[in-house]
Amino acid sequence: MILLLAVAAGLLAGLARAGIKKKPYREPELSWLWLVILAVAPQLLAFHISATAGWFSDRWASAILVASQLALLGFVWVNRRLTGMKILGLGLVLNLLVISLNNGLMPLTPQTAGALFPELPASTWVTGLRPGRSKNIILPLSETRLAFLSDTILLPAWFPWTRALSAGDLLIALGIFWLLAVEAPLDPVPDQAGNEPSHQS
Amino acid sequence: MKKTLSRISLFTGKINRRTLQIFLALLTLALLALGAGAPGVDGGFGGI
Repeated sequence: MILLLAVAAGLLAGLARAGIKKKPYREPELSWLWLVILAVAPQLLAFHISATAGWFSDRWASAILVASQLALLGFVWVNRRLTGMKILGLGLVLNLLVISLNNGLMPLTPQTAGALFPELPASTWVTGLRPGRSKNIILPLSETRLAFLSDTILLPAWFPWTRALSAGDLLIALGIFWLLAVEAPLDPVPDQAGNEPSHQS
Repeated sequence: MKKTLSRISLFTGKINRRTLQIFLALLTLALLALGAGAPGVDGGFGGI
């Protein structure tokens, strides 16, 4: 949810930019869109759709997460000419790195989990637990590889969605924002006869 | 009249295609964010 805010914020900023320049807004030119759908569909089943998430063991879920993110890396590579995609790709690589080195799931310390759910007893957060159907695994800092790349950045308490983010998540959000706000080309204004000149980004 | 109708149909066709293209790009980027990101307590965390 938190990363979807970057999509909304990027779109609003892009529309504002188009409005200021008085030109129609156009979507960023992306290739191989089908690869994203193909890559993310198994993740949706294993993590996000509660009716199907139960079908997958933790081992399968972690394998799906790594394979899915590798496929997304392919999409990023195909579209690497865009600066926003490079930023997003760096974030994805950082997330994939820390996930791959920690049992295929994103590490979360018991302390961070406790801060997110203060109403639950500290004994809830046992090492190796995958809370709910999330992408996280509870690991103490001492047992986490590349801990500084894990979900250690806590959003302020006033934020409506309490979440912990990784450095990779921040870069992904920035990359998406950049793509929609800065890199989305603006259409040339059609001439009086309604003919659109050839696109110039 | 025919000319006006054809202009309207051309206009709505263009709007629909453009809207669809933007929607598809937004959907792709939203899915990309969902798949690439791993914020703490995402997905079905509410089940605990």
